[in-house]
Amino acid sequence: MKKMMFGWSGAKLFLLASLLLTATLAPLSVFAQADPASDVIPAPKEFSLSTSDLVSYAYWVLALLVLLVIVYIFNIGAASEKLTGRAVINWTKVNAWMSIIFLVAGSAGVAYELIYHGKLLLPEAASAHGDSIDNMFNWTFGITFVVFVVTEVLLFYFLFKYRQKEGQKAAYYFHNNQLEIIWTIVPAIVLTFLVLRGYSTWHNITQTPEPKAKQIEIFGYQFGWKARYAGDDNKFGEANFNFIDPATNELGLAIKPSVIALRDTLVADTGRLGKDLRTLPAILKQKADQLSKMSLAADGKAYTDLEQELEDIRNGNKASELRKMMKRKGVQIQRINATLASKDMFNEAANDDKVTTEIHLIKDQPYTFRYRARDVIHSAYMPYFRAQMNVVPGMLTSFTFTPTKTTKQMQDEEKNPEFQFYLFCAKICGSAHYNMKIKIVVESESEYNAWIEKQKRVVEPVQPEAPAAPAAGSDTTATPKTAIKSNQKPSLAMGF
Amino acid sequence: MSTAAAHGAHADAHEHHHESFIRKYIFSTDHKMISRQFLITGIVMGVIGMVMSILFRLQLAWPDQKFAILEMLLGRWAKGGVLDANFYMALVTIHGTIMVFYVLTAGLSGTFSNLLIPLQCGARDMASPFMNMLSYWFFFLSSVVLCWSFFVETGPASAGWTVYPPLSALEKAMPGSGFGMTLWLVAIALFIVSALLGGVNYISTVLNMRTKGMSMNRLPLTIWAFFFTAILGLLSFPVLLGAALFLIFDRSFGTSFYLSDIWLNGVGALENVGGSPILYQHLFWFLGHPEVYIILMPALGITSEVIATNARKPIFGYTAMVISLMGISILSFIVWGHHMFITGMNPFLGSVFMFLTLVIAVPSAVKVFNYLTTLWRGNIRFTPAMLFAIGLVSFFISGGLTGIYLGNAALDINLHDSYFVVAHFHLVMGSAAIFGMFSGIYHWFPKMFGRLMNNTLGYFHFWLTFIAAYLVFFPMHFMGLAGVPRRYYAFSVIPEFNVWLEVNQLITVAAIMAGFAQVLFLWNFFYSIFRGKKSDANPWNSNTLEWSTPVEHIHGNWPGEIPTVYRGPYEYSREDREEDFYPQHIPGDDEGHGHGAPKTKSAPVHTEEPAAQSGNVLFSALKKVFGFSPR
Ligand code: HEM
Ligand SMILES: [Cu+2]
Ligand SMILES: [Cu+2]
Repeated sequence: MKKMMFGWSGAKLFLLASLLLTATLAPLSVFAQADPASDVIPAPKEFSLSTSDLVSYAYWVLALLVLLVIVYIFNIGAASEKLTGRAVINWTKVNAWMSIIFLVAGSAGVAYELIYHGKLLLPEAASAHGDSIDNMFNWTFGITFVVFVVTEVLLFYFLFKYRQKEGQKAAYYFHNNQLEIIWTIVPAIVLTFLVLRGYSTWHNITQTPEPKAKQIEIFGYQFGWKARYAGDDNKFGEANFNFIDPATNELGLAIKPSVIALRDTLVADTGRLGKDLRTLPAILKQKADQLSKMSLAADGKAYTDLEQELEDIRNGNKASELRKMMKRKGVQIQRINATLASKDMFNEAANDDKVTTEIHLIKDQPYTFRYRARDVIHSAYMPYFRAQMNVVPGMLTSFTFTPTKTTKQMQDEEKNPEFQFYLFCAKICGSAHYNMKIKIVVESESEYNAWIEKQKRVVEPVQPEAPAAPAAGSDTTATPKTAIKSNQKPSLAMGF
Repeated sequence: MSTAAAHGAHADAHEHHHESFIRKYIFSTDHKMISRQFLITGIVMGVIGMVMSILFRLQLAWPDQKFAILEMLLGRWAKGGVLDANFYMALVTIHGTIMVFYVLTAGLSGTFSNLLIPLQCGARDMASPFMNMLSYWFFFLSSVVLCWSFFVETGPASAGWTVYPPLSALEKAMPGSGFGMTLWLVAIALFIVSALLGGVNYISTVLNMRTKGMSMNRLPLTIWAFFFTAILGLLSFPVLLGAALFLIFDRSFGTSFYLSDIWLNGVGALENVGGSPILYQHLFWFLGHPEVYIILMPALGITSEVIATNARKPIFGYTAMVISLMGISILSFIVWGHHMFITGMNPFLGSVFMFLTLVIAVPSAVKVFNYLTTLWRGNIRFTPAMLFAIGLVSFFISGGLTGIYLGNAALDINLHDSYFVVAHFHLVMGSAAIFGMFSGIYHWFPKMFGRLMNNTLGYFHFWLTFIAAYLVFFPMHFMGLAGVPRRYYAFSVIPEFNVWLEVNQLITVAAIMAGFAQVLFLWNFFYSIFRGKKSDANPWNSNTLEWSTPVEHIHGNWPGEIPTVYRGPYEYSREDREEDFYPQHIPGDDEGHGHGAPKTKSAPVHTEEPAAQSGNVLFSALKKVFGFSPR
């Protein structure tokens, strides 16, 4: 068999060395370039900059040392190879020993990970079904870890043991039915076990009815969450994406005055858009005049922006955009009009619903979270409860679980008085995807009652002493006269 | 390249016209040249994808730090040296797209299917050399379109490499869903055309153009792997094309395949009703899951070949290897739902997909055991190719085992879209397939360029990359298990995540180390193309047919007749032979058994009728179905 070793010319060696050197030094300059000048850099927060710097410098220094040793060895190797004509570095041996070193160091690494990072994993589940997931996990971990260790050890041990040796010939061994049948059947049995267990766990979590579950609607949008409680009537009001008004009716609830106001706004918008469309030539002229009084040098971006605007008007983009917007709003108006008469839709059930910016839950009470999305897909992830479900526009999804630990309990267990549960987004959904969360508080029933009592109804019942405006053509049947809650546009009530 | 002069010297051995530079190096129809084109393009894309990963890793490790270098490279996307959140997503998206499609599908399968199918089957070229050329140029065009998207005002696609609508469908949902997204879709459509042209070619060449004596059960495992890969691609890529077309329609022509009940900030209520975002996911993953095997199987094929050659041993359980490839191929079409357990899909369907997914672990386990047994009592020669093949096996084990967690619907509730997934697929698909690709490059470099790569640099490349890859991806499991979601620009969403900052720094440092290790490779690769040591015809003492061709490339591969094949490809270390190898084309009156035929002496010659024995039922069935026969 041929020698796999090459001679090492000085030039090659030099190249290799300088290559690795730049490799080693380049990042240093990267770090060095980090701008320490701006004193806004928050002085060491969670981590101290100096520690992290030290760590990274240490890495590079270490790399440099290793490099030096290597170069040194090569130098000797190359020189003596020239002299004796024999390879100094026996790469077969080096690689074989590297396998063993890798195995030992790797095991140490895995042990380190399990011990130190293992501590950072999630604490015991804070939900009833969570235990069954953790249990499933432990079984899977136990089995796969054994397989992992056995196969990886064999792999690297074989590399070492059966490395090429003078005069050694490999075994001509290519087939053994019995062996192959065994190692097909054994994994099959083990996997059957995992599948069956997994199936029952999954079934219990997702397909077992929980008649006592309270419902909460979780509404996801770019970029945040809202929770809705059903209120005293224990019934959620209807909702529809066509009713959404970010200022007064974020969730698009079926509240007649609000929806009518929205429709009127849309009608007005459409009218304005139509007027814009008709007067485009005049606008064009006016803007062109404006532009002629400006100059690129003096106005910079304002100039180019205006230029772009003019261009859009000239080539018809503006007009088609206006038409599209009118059409879209037209469709929305039609849809609203079509539902307005529906008694099922506008049944007043929404009035006493409560929309909140925190989720409060009672310990040991089963809950079904019903998810709605406003715009794109989100995912409601609550790792401490071992719960996750996608939140999909146009489709209702849900997840049922029972919280079993209060926030306080968790704070004690974690020895962290700041600890809070959160629900956060796990499906990529746009620029602030990484920061889309809502706080969850798990508490006792009385604490919960106190909290929910304080939350505002979507539509406050009108105070008896407040003189109600004369209800012209009102179609509200019973109940006190309603007005939209505080942050409404004042004009809303005028619709009646 | 084995220089034009050397090429000319051989011209007389074969009918040969002097070709223009353009015909030879650019619009070439020669499979060996096309294979090199795929490889070089794949390497270039790989470098781009890797640099991107390092850029966004800097952000994750030092979120408060300002990197002048970032602003230098990215300009307005990293104002003041801090990566923009939108551009972070763009980097992640294009990194994933490039790695999955451009490097590990086209770069890996395109390179080695093209190089090896004709050479190892004993054919003068592909069934349709012209289509083959088109396949490369569609791929090239597609790469250009994808890179172009970086120069678009609103930036490249940034909805993740899976580009789920509505995020990807609505221009106003995020900047990256503007023109950049259109370019992404066009690039993918072109890519699919390329993949289909290639796939048809690979399949027909394997079925119809094998040399005399090259029955299916004497095919090297590489060819089997490429063959199944091509079938997978042919059946699944069209579905992605359909999904992409629907998405284009939704984006540009007002249809509602994937859209319903949407109110978008800055736009208002949309007209679309009746569509389903989940439909896209079904279509996408119907390709998406086979795609991971399209990536992995060629790497497994290469590994089988390299391990057998360098352990100087017959591959253990040839038939089992082929059957498990086939099992994996079939199963890979019916497990896509494991990506959708918690999308709101019917939970009962989830149970079915869970069962089918875990079944895949069986053929995968068989493959691992067979690799291990092949090494057992071998005479292992550590070439860089061999080391990378071993690396693949190691990653295949560690990454494959975590698939058992993710395939379990109950566990996936908490692991879905967490860093555990990132760890899993980077090991089993990313690292494993990249290592398979490196293994192939080191092993067949002499065949592609007529020269040898430097082994010493190869060893350094291997150990550095191997260790760095584990350092990068192993800790990510723990982050995932702690509930850290993927595709996060910063981990500030809950205070508990701060503890991972140091780990993120370690990962980034290791990623940079891995990056620099690739510099060694690049230098070795390009230097050796021109200045490497000249190779012998059969530098690894291998059995397969490609090493019976002359070192200098000629049209038609063999100067004279195509050699006849007398036995299986893995006859290493036979007791009755002095040498430890026995090339397939060397005449000899006995057939050998190393390919897994039952050890019965009763049928020493079964070229005509290889069936009728338990182990070969599969092949005879295949023969009947496809109606092919060895020439
Ligand atoms: C230098 C080596 C690499 C590093 C350091 C690296 C790092 C990463 C990281 C950290 C992410 C997750 C980012 C996030 O979720 O925010 C990611 C995503 C991804 N990477 Fe890599 N990666 C590397 C190589 C590869 C390879 C070889 C592949 C080939 C399969 C690959 C495929 C992907 C894919 C498909 C994604 C998902 C993109 C998405 O979320 O849409 N990467 N990479
Ligand atoms: Cu979100
Ligand atoms: Cu999959």
